[in-house]
Amino acid sequence: MASSTSITGLFSRLSLLSRNTTTATMKTATTTPTPRLFSTTSSFLARKAPPPASGGSAPKAARRNRQAPKSENFFRIRTLRRNMFSPAPPPLRMARLRYLRHWTIHRAWQLFRRKQHEAIDKERSRMHAGMYNACEELRKTVGPGSRGEGYLYRVAMEKKGVYGLEGVPIEYARFQTDSPAKEAWNHEWKR
Amino acid sequence: MSRCQAVARPLARQLRPQCAIRPFTTGAARASAAAETSSAAAAQPSPLDLDPNSVLPEFESDLIKAGKMPIGSRRRRVAMRTTASLPFEQLPYQAFQEARAILAADRQEKVAKIQEELEKISLLEKKDAALVKGGQAMKDTKLASLRRYVEQLKIQADINDPLVKKRFEDGLGDMDKPIYRHYAERKWRSYDYRLITQRIKQFNIVPDVLPKLDPVADVQLYFRQSKIPPGEIVDSLVSENPPRLRVQVFDKGPRLVSLVVLDSDVPDVEKDAFSKRCHFLAANISLSPSDTSLPLSRIRAADQLAVPWLPPTAQKGSPYHRLSIYLLEQKPDTKLDVAQLKELYASRDGFSLKSFRDKFSLTPVGFNMFRSVWDDNTAGVMARHGVAGADVEFRPTRVHSLKPPVKPRGWEAKRQGPAYRHLWKYTKRIKGLSNARGWTKRR
Repeated sequence: MASSTSITGLFSRLSLLSRNTTTATMKTATTTPTPRLFSTTSSFLARKAPPPASGGSAPKAARRNRQAPKSENFFRIRTLRRNMFSPAPPPLRMARLRYLRHWTIHRAWQLFRRKQHEAIDKERSRMHAGMYNACEELRKTVGPGSRGEGYLYRVAMEKKGVYGLEGVPIEYARFQTDSPAKEAWNHEWKR
Repeated sequence: MSRCQAVARPLARQLRPQCAIRPFTTGAARASAAAETSSAAAAQPSPLDLDPNSVLPEFESDLIKAGKMPIGSRRRRVAMRTTASLPFEQLPYQAFQEARAILAADRQEKVAKIQEELEKISLLEKKDAALVKGGQAMKDTKLASLRRYVEQLKIQADINDPLVKKRFEDGLGDMDKPIYRHYAERKWRSYDYRLITQRIKQFNIVPDVLPKLDPVADVQLYFRQSKIPPGEIVDSLVSENPPRLRVQVFDKGPRLVSLVVLDSDVPDVEKDAFSKRCHFLAANISLSPSDTSLPLSRIRAADQLAVPWLPPTAQKGSPYHRLSIYLLEQKPDTKLDVAQLKELYASRDGFSLKSFRDKFSLTPVGFNMFRSVWDDNTAGVMARHGVAGADVEFRPTRVHSLKPPVKPRGWEAKRQGPAYRHLWKYTKRIKGLSNARGWTKRR
C-alpha cells in the first residue's frame, strides 16, 4: 500500500499547494480574496465571493473557511482514490460442475469474440483493398483532358485541408531532431 | 423470473397444497388433524432426506446427530431434490444453454470443414502425380499437410465440449479418439514431461548414454503397485522383482517397441572408470494408445524377451547407479530378430544403447529412471541372484587440495594478539564461538 500512501500524500500536497497560493494571493492582492484553483470553470467563476464577515459572525465564517474549497472534479477524484487501490477481487471458487459450466460459457464467449474480430478484420481488409484498387486505377488513368497519367491520383493524395484550413502538420512547426534540446525553453526571449 | 425464484419454485410447489387446503373456518378438530398429518410427515423422512445433499431443514438435526453435515445451502438442497436426475448438459441455466448452442454451431462448422478436407484428400489421392505441380514429392507433402489439418480439425471440433472435458478428467476418455489423446498429451507436457527432461539433464543421461533424447511418450514406473517418481532411489529388495510400466503414447495406432533397462554406473576397477550393463532387453512389444499397462514380468514370449530382468545392485561405497528405462520405437511393421539380440547381448556388460539404436534403426520415444544404492538388503539380493561383489567395499581415494591452508582472516583474527589487549573484549567475544568467559565452541 506504499503507492496508496504516496498518492494520498500527493493529493494532500496538492491541497496544501492550493492553500498556499490562496494565502499568497490574499497577501499580494487583497482586493480579490476569492481562492483560485488550478482549474476554473465558468460556473465556478460565476460564483460570488462570500460577503465580508461582520463582527458578530466572524468565528462562524472562519470555521466555514477551514475546509479547502472543493474542485469541480472532487467527486470523481474521490471515487478514483477509493477504487484505484482497492484489493483485487477474490479468485473464483466453484465446485466442479459449476466450474465446468463456467468454463463452457467462457469458451463460448471467447469463440464468439474471435468470430466477431475475424469478421471485423475481414471487412476492414476488404475495404482497404477496395481503396487500394481504386487508387491504383486512378494512378493508371490518363487524366481528364490534356492531363498526364496519374494526375487524378496525385490530386486525390493531396492533403489540403486535412490539418485545418491553410494548416500544416504540427511536426513542421519545429525542426525535427533526434534528441530534445539542451535548453527546453528560452525564457529570456523577447520579440 | 429471477434465478432465486426459479430455484425456489419446486419448493413452492411442494408447499402449496398444504396452504391450499387451509379452510376458511379452522375448527379445533381440523387444526389438530392438520397438526397430526404434519407431525406424521415430519416423523418419516424420505430417502432424499437422509442424503446430506438434499435434506430438508426439518431433518437437518437428525442428520447432524447421525454425524453427517448437510451440504450447501437450504435453497441448493431443495433444488437438488428435484433436479438430481437431470443430466449435466440439460441443466436449466440460461447462459450455459446459450453457450452450448454456440459451441454446437461451431462444432457443426468444423465437421463440415472436415468433410470438405476429406473430399480434397480423396481427390488429390486419385490425381496422377504427373499432373500435380511439383510431382510426387509435392503431392505427398500436400497430402501430409491436409491430413495434419484434418487431425487438427478433429481436435478442434471437440475441444469445447464440457462433457468431453469431464470424461477426460474422470479418466474415462477413450484414448483411441484424438481429442482425449490431445488432452492427455497436454496434461503430460504440462508437468511430467518437464520433470522427465529435467531428470535427463540433471543426471547427464544425454551425453552419457545417448547424444540426444526427447521423449514423446509418457512412461510411468511402478514397483509393487506404488508409483516411483523419476530419479527416486529404490530399495534393492523392492527392485528385485521387475517393475510394471504404464506407457501412454499420444499418436494414433499400434506400433512395435523395444524396451531396455540400463545401468550406466557399473564401477570398473581395472580401468578406474564406469561402464554400462543391460538389466533387461525386450523387443517387438505391441503398444497402442488404449492399452497402457506393460508389466515387465509378463514379457516372456520367445520372440520378445531377449535379456531377462537382473535386479539392480550397487556395491558398497560406490556412488548411486542410474537405472534408466528406454522405450525405442521400431520401424513400422519390422520385427527385430530376438535370437540375434540374445546372442549379441547375452553378456550384459558393456551394453551401448547408442550402438543398439543404430544397429536396429530404432528411435527412442520414452524414458524413465530410478536409482539404486547399497542398502541392507543388497547383499541378500546379490546372493540370491548370483551377482558377485557383495564382499567388496569401495572407498573413494582422498584427493587433497592443492591450495595452501588458509589462515584465519577478518577483523577479529587480526586483533587476537597481545598488542590488541584493549580490544580483547571485542575480539574474544565472537558470536557462536566464544564469550567473555572463554571459548565456548567445542573443538
